[in-house]
Amino acid sequence: MVKSTYQPSTSALPPLAPGWTEHKAPTGHTYYYNAETKESTYKRPGAAPVVVNPAMSSYVQHQTVPQINLSDPTVANAFMAQYGQPPPQHHGQRGGGSGAGGGRGGFQARPRPQPADKPRSKVAIPGCEPWVLVYTKYGRRFAFNPAKNASYWRIPEKLMPAILELDTARIREKAEGKTAEQPQEQKDAERSAIPAAQAQQEQPAHDYDSSEYEEVEVTDDEGAGDDGHDHDQDGNARKRQRTDEPAGDDGPAEFTEADIAAQLAAMGADYYGDVEMGEDDPGAEGAWEEGDEGLPLSDEDARELFKDLLNDFHINPYSPWEKLIEEGKVFDDARYSVLPTTRARKEVWEEWSRAKIQELRERRAKEEKKDPRIPYLAFLQEKATPKLYWPEFRRKYKRDDPMKDPKLPDKDRERWYREHINRLKLPQTTLKSDLKKLLESAPLSALNSQTMVSDLPPQVLADIRYISLDPKVRDPFVEAYIQGLGPPPEGGQAAEQEDEAAKKARDERRKREKALEERERAVAEEKRRQEKRVQYERARLLDEEREIERAMHVGKRGLQSQLLG
Amino acid sequence: MPAIRPASKRKPPPDGFEDIEEDLLIFGNKMKDAQNAPADNMPKHQAQWPIFQIAHQRSRYVYELYYEKEAISKPLYEWLLKNGYADAMLIAKWKKQGYEKLCCLRCIQTKETNFNSTCLCRVPRAQLKEDQDVQCVSCGCRGCASTD
Repeated sequence: MVKSTYQPSTSALPPLAPGWTEHKAPTGHTYYYNAETKESTYKRPGAAPVVVNPAMSSYVQHQTVPQINLSDPTVANAFMAQYGQPPPQHHGQRGGGSGAGGGRGGFQARPRPQPADKPRSKVAIPGCEPWVLVYTKYGRRFAFNPAKNASYWRIPEKLMPAILELDTARIREKAEGKTAEQPQEQKDAERSAIPAAQAQQEQPAHDYDSSEYEEVEVTDDEGAGDDGHDHDQDGNARKRQRTDEPAGDDGPAEFTEADIAAQLAAMGADYYGDVEMGEDDPGAEGAWEEGDEGLPLSDEDARELFKDLLNDFHINPYSPWEKLIEEGKVFDDARYSVLPTTRARKEVWEEWSRAKIQELRERRAKEEKKDPRIPYLAFLQEKATPKLYWPEFRRKYKRDDPMKDPKLPDKDRERWYREHINRLKLPQTTLKSDLKKLLESAPLSALNSQTMVSDLPPQVLADIRYISLDPKVRDPFVEAYIQGLGPPPEGGQAAEQEDEAAKKARDERRKREKALEERERAVAEEKRRQEKRVQYERARLLDEEREIERAMHVGKRGLQSQLLG
Repeated sequence: MPAIRPASKRKPPPDGFEDIEEDLLIFGNKMKDAQNAPADNMPKHQAQWPIFQIAHQRSRYVYELYYEKEAISKPLYEWLLKNGYADAMLIAKWKKQGYEKLCCLRCIQTKETNFNSTCLCRVPRAQLKEDQDVQCVSCGCRGCASTD
């Protein structure tokens, strides 16, 4: 399939006012500078239409409308040689003769940087023997005759049918080679090949007079199969555009954009067919979510994913839904959008919070009540001194958490404080024997040879006798005592079972996340396609606009110029 | 009026209060902000709207925790009601059929209106004219009929 991405540069920008020059800022913006007034502006100083020397304009017109049949390559080449530097804006000049006047001269003189393109591969054209079709690095191609050592960007008309055939054959081959491809896509590719070919045939009609003009043909079929290649092509198109850009003397921004769009369109043309289904609203994510055909996520999975999200963000199950929405930290997560509506999300959230609260409650019931005395006693051991009376101590540490704990009555606190202070005055041996007694009172299931010193049972920790000894003395003592104890009684089966359940849950979760990833990829692809389609449409619109504009420009020569193209 | 005891001498709240303490604190702060916000530049009747709304939200929060999620215990629920974290009268209405979403008690107080009727926000949306945007005078409610 052949398609030209060349955009006739009608560039309807008015010429610059005399004295103004155009420059490019380092940022890429175009600005205009007047050397006389030393003034610069971003706005194009569209001068009053310059009155052009009639003789000159007629010369230009004469120059740009040669009456030669250029479909013959030899004539075409001769013509190119003769009209070495035709003015770039041939369409505009043909239309109103609006003057390639004085202001523009400087830009024409500037050397035109050529993009560094290289031939990459060649294909012999069957039927027209010496001719070869050469593909370049940037995906363009030209016809080359090694016998005459002649090459043409514009493919000579006599080669056209053969090349078209070659292209169709290649498309077919590619489509058949890919088993994953649907036959429909191939059909699409072929269908799109036809208008493109027509475009190609129309193209030479109005382009032949420009030597700068390079007919860029993008082969569509390369994008047909694999996405990776497609990307590559995309990148190439962009790259080439960028290298071209400085060359365009004052190419308006819309032109370049349209060029890119056209490139993309050419590549996206085969997507077309299957995108058309979801045409109703472009770019709307909602459409994708509601019409989730082909989503790998079941409803169940989506719900589970959303619950995972809630778990991951450590959402407090007691908090109201409004708080979750107000904070908005879950919005960025992809899993937030697996459920299509906020109502569904809220439903899942409700379910989740109910389950979570239940779970929390069960866990809390299972784990033994944390004795509020433990932190308080530990605090006493650290801070209490015989130098302070209770009121002083309370006043000094009233800000500390153990002193504020509402679970512990103030009376008890005071009692323990006094007791502790009194015990500090006792001799070490008494304290040691007391501690031993305490340790002996603990059952073997709670305190045995497996127990760590840092992980003693609460009944030991919550006793005043435990804190009376200095930790430096106490810990070795307790350790020695534990060494002498027997092993714990049997009963470790339950833990293993729990582990298995946890593992199962983890596996399921991983599965769900995988599914989500796949879905994400699908969504991204769909988005990309849609974008391409939009760009393609935009390009077409621009094309048509330009065509209309061109049609509107009826110059002095009237109908004749129109017919000539 | 009896003296307010210091926190250390007060009876601790029932179990489970720590779980919801933070959210209640947020509601409390919001309420304080609403109460202290200047009401100069708004119509007089709108000045109390945010207060009604926050009171409603907080009551709803407690109501849902107790009746729908069953996340808090009865003693805690009663303690919350007693300590003014939720409006018991409003919650009592929510339990009645037709009043599940009631915005505030003033909106069903028929004796306070000229024609002995409820507030406009109690009218189901289906019975209102097309695209009629209502916001009631007493609490700024936009419609709290059960069918909405």
